[in-house]
Amino acid sequence: MSAVLLIEDDDRIRLSLAMALEDEGYQTHAVATAEEGLEMQRRQPADAVLVDLMLPGMDGFECIRQLRRTDDVPVIVVSARDDTHDIVAGLEAGADDYVVKPVAVKELAARLRALRRRGRTASATAPGVTTMTFGDLEIRPEAGEVRLHGEPVAVTRTEFRLLCELAEHAGQVLSRQQLLSRVWEYEIGDERLVDVHVGRLRHKIEDSAGKPKHLVTVRGLGYKLQP
Amino acid sequence: MRRAGLRTRVSAAFAIGALALSAGVTFVSYELISNTLFRERERAAVRATYFDAAVINSGLIGDDPNVGDLLQSLDIGADRYVLLSRQGRWYARSAGPAADVPTALQEMAARGEAGAQRIRRDGQPALVVAVPVQNSAVFYEIVSLRELERTLQLLGLVLTAVAIMVSAGGAAVGWYVTRHALRPLAAVAEAASGIAGGDLDTRLDPDAEPELARLTSSFNHMADELSRRLKRDRRFAADVSHELRSPLQTLAAAVSVLNRRRDGLDERSAAAIGLIADEVARFQALVDDLLELARSDQPVQREAADMDLLARRVLSSRGLPGDLVEFIPGTPVDWPVDRRRVEQALGNLLDNAVRYGGGPVAVRVGPGYLEVDDAGPGVPSESRATIFDRFVRGPAAGARGGGDGTGLGLAIVAEHAAAHGGRATLADRPGGGARFRIELPTPS
Repeated sequence: MSAVLLIEDDDRIRLSLAMALEDEGYQTHAVATAEEGLEMQRRQPADAVLVDLMLPGMDGFECIRQLRRTDDVPVIVVSARDDTHDIVAGLEAGADDYVVKPVAVKELAARLRALRRRGRTASATAPGVTTMTFGDLEIRPEAGEVRLHGEPVAVTRTEFRLLCELAEHAGQVLSRQQLLSRVWEYEIGDERLVDVHVGRLRHKIEDSAGKPKHLVTVRGLGYKLQP
Repeated sequence: MRRAGLRTRVSAAFAIGALALSAGVTFVSYELISNTLFRERERAAVRATYFDAAVINSGLIGDDPNVGDLLQSLDIGADRYVLLSRQGRWYARSAGPAADVPTALQEMAARGEAGAQRIRRDGQPALVVAVPVQNSAVFYEIVSLRELERTLQLLGLVLTAVAIMVSAGGAAVGWYVTRHALRPLAAVAEAASGIAGGDLDTRLDPDAEPELARLTSSFNHMADELSRRLKRDRRFAADVSHELRSPLQTLAAAVSVLNRRRDGLDERSAAAIGLIADEVARFQALVDDLLELARSDQPVQREAADMDLLARRVLSSRGLPGDLVEFIPGTPVDWPVDRRRVEQALGNLLDNAVRYGGGPVAVRVGPGYLEVDDAGPGVPSESRATIFDRFVRGPAAGARGGGDGTGLGLAIVAEHAAAHGGRATLADRPGGGARFRIELPTPS
């Protein structure tokens, strides 16, 4: 049974969502504040985190940033606001995905399952490949490792999955839609997920995120990883 | 009948005014000139006749002077004709009828009075001058006025042409003046259509036209008020929907917990929970749709999208076969559209087809448009005008006892099409069923 950490300040939502998630087979750690959530994650790490953005005290954005310092646990933002600004800020803070309240429990469970399938050593499409090298960038799908100039780089699972997807099709342009469906398993989804993750990846694998040499944008088409 | 436009009317008034004025001037000047010319011509003719009469008078000495020679000796031009009436006989330089001389003038001359009269001779205007000479003979001179009449005809022609030109000029001035006078109104019209088109920030420059200051200020006030109200309404709809989100989330989660345990409940409770679950789901969709509508006025974010692929993806997200898509040859592969909104619009049309139209039978991707054909009964003409309005559901929905739609799906379709500068339309599909079309023009 996998565990989910739910950080939600609205008592009724917290209670009902916790029950519904338990019905879906998740052991749920439900807390009301970001501080409690970080503490809980330290003591009993969950396999996924659901976090509201508007929280008393530390807000959801800061909570995600703090989680990301030590943890690559998948994070889904559960927000009552669907304005672009909040969603992009939540993703930039390090979230893997987002849903907007009211979300159907089935949908939430599907998102969690998709995240879990994005396993750490994910490379179902290219088994046996041990190392892919792009100049000073090294990707080891089986080991779940990324190295830049020989130094290990901390990437989240979604970032890793995205990088592997691009690496397996090195030199080939993948559209945002293709990446959305291959990495996030969305038939129809928000392309900003891809854009924000690409931006985050660039900060980690490029010497200068403003002038990427590995992960480049092909205007109007998508992204590609250059050998 | 449609009333003629202000410009046309003002121009016509200018033209009529100019015509009246120039016709008056023309008439008066023609009369003055022709009178003067005639009088001068008459005076000259009379003078010449007296001169000739003096010559004749001096020649008529004796009992039987040779009148013919006498007349021949006169120095006259081609347009003068002389006659002498003496003792009931007429003499002329060449044979000619005396009938040219009016009887009244003959009688007057017979009484010994000189006179002149205008006549027409062989259809030509002429002047007859009678001067009695000795022995109760009368000398007549007939002067042709043809040249004078021609001059006057030409003058009349020129004056008429001038009158016509002046009135045309009047019309042109009217057109020009109204264009200038109406220019501020054109600015008002442009601003009003801008506001109607969704640009609520359009205002008129209050200093541009001092004469129209009141119009400008009330127009701007109206626009301010309108935009304030629209914003307030929209914010209200968005606020309400946001406020509904949290309780709805609780409901959705709680009802799913209950729903899982339906089997362990008695039949009535299970049925009641089923109802609640359905309604909560509909409520969620309603809140989403209301929020979508509340922000539908936001400008589109265009990006090239492969429409064929997009249509297939939307179909597959609905569990429908992707090969329903027909790609019309000649359609560009990529169009710049707001992908999210087009996906939603197409998705709503598909949902509509499934719900009320017996399912989609074709999705057509053509140049600048998307079409969805369904296999339903079509839409009766009386419902067509309102089908894209909010909270309007097809009669099929009523027949099925409410339906599960929000009543906002097609309104959102129309809003998304309008945001792209296009529109949503509905037609009959040949062979039955409805054909919904979204036009998505590419801005040039």
